Amino acid sequence: MDGSEPSDGQLIERIADGDSRAFDELHRRYARSVLGLALRRLGDRGRAEDATQEAFVAIWRSARTFDAVRGRGAPWLYAVARNAITDGYRRTPSPVSELEDGPGSDPDPSDEAEASWTAWRVHRALEVLPEHERPVIELAYWSGLSQSEIALKLGIPLGTVKTRTRSALARLADALEEELR
Amino acid sequence: MTERRPSLDELVGEDVTPAERERLLRVHELLLEAGPPPELPVEAPIPLRPQRRRGALIAIAAALAVSVFAVGVVVGDRSGAGDADFVVAMSGTAAASEASASLAVFDIDEAGNWPMEFSVEGLTPTPSGRPYELWLTKDGKLVALCGGFLTNPDGSAVVPMNAPYDFTDFDGWVVVEEGSTAPLLTT
Repeated sequence: MDGSEPSDGQLIERIADGDSRAFDELHRRYARSVLGLALRRLGDRGRAEDATQEAFVAIWRSARTFDAVRGRGAPWLYAVARNAITDGYRRTPSPVSELEDGPGSDPDPSDEAEASWTAWRVHRALEVLPEHERPVIELAYWSGLSQSEIALKLGIPLGTVKTRTRSALARLADALEEELR
Repeated sequence: MTERRPSLDELVGEDVTPAERERLLRVHELLLEAGPPPELPVEAPIPLRPQRRRGALIAIAAALAVSVFAVGVVVGDRSGAGDADFVVAMSGTAAASEASASLAVFDIDEAGNWPMEFSVEGLTPTPSGRPYELWLTKDGKLVALCGGFLTNPDGSAVVPMNAPYDFTDFDGWVVVEEGSTAPLLTT
């Protein structure tokens, strides 16, 4: 993560003072994480997009309750977003209850919570990647392409694909170990 | 997403130190576990409101303190909860006798939501792994959900919440385990 950029916590503190630019930057960093969490909880794309909007409104409203002494910005944002998404679900439950987690085939709630938190952090970390590095990660991990196939698809040498991939993974490791720990 | 899982060795090659490989392997596993991030919709404006709106709302808080939650409510900030308008003290029931909590309620926003900060101690995580929930009550019944939360292994948690309700419709708050109506903390 670029050390010259404000941390998530610093952005939240600026939002508490009514700084809409800080809010825009935080939205850029976390939009996919929040939408991913909403999709995981609600299933339905339309409802998840609505819940994402509500989550960011909750972040704006609750920013002054953030205390950097008590922890980093990412866990605070996760808690606010999760509560907003859950509250929205409770107010307008769908005919099929995605949140029911009774005994049987559903995952253990603690496992599900851990998986949601992992996805939240990873999707946030992806936002630190430069535009030329992000596609090689997405094509390798979520499109199932080999390095040669990625080179062909992007029209760049195989060596460049390998360099970008390794650089991107190292950058993600830095982000996950430091800022988002 | 396809079924093909990428190989870390294919991605980073063999020219990497064991320590660096271990670091990249952790990221590799996290990427596989997380799955792809969703595509964002076309940007829609988020309706933001001013952060602060005090004034007459202090009177509402005072009225609540006197007439609604006569026990356990303190008007003003006397708990160190920043600039809260009022703070509600909660104590554990027999099912959670070691637990205690405070709920700092901040001034209402223009849309009618009350930002809150819930601080709890002595409430160990549920054996089931389910979260706890904070509810507004009326006549002993759970009526309006304020939010869910998990606690640390030592039983503590500090959680921002939000209540888009008219507090005069209720007569107290309780904490329950998700899916249960048995109070663990009450006002």
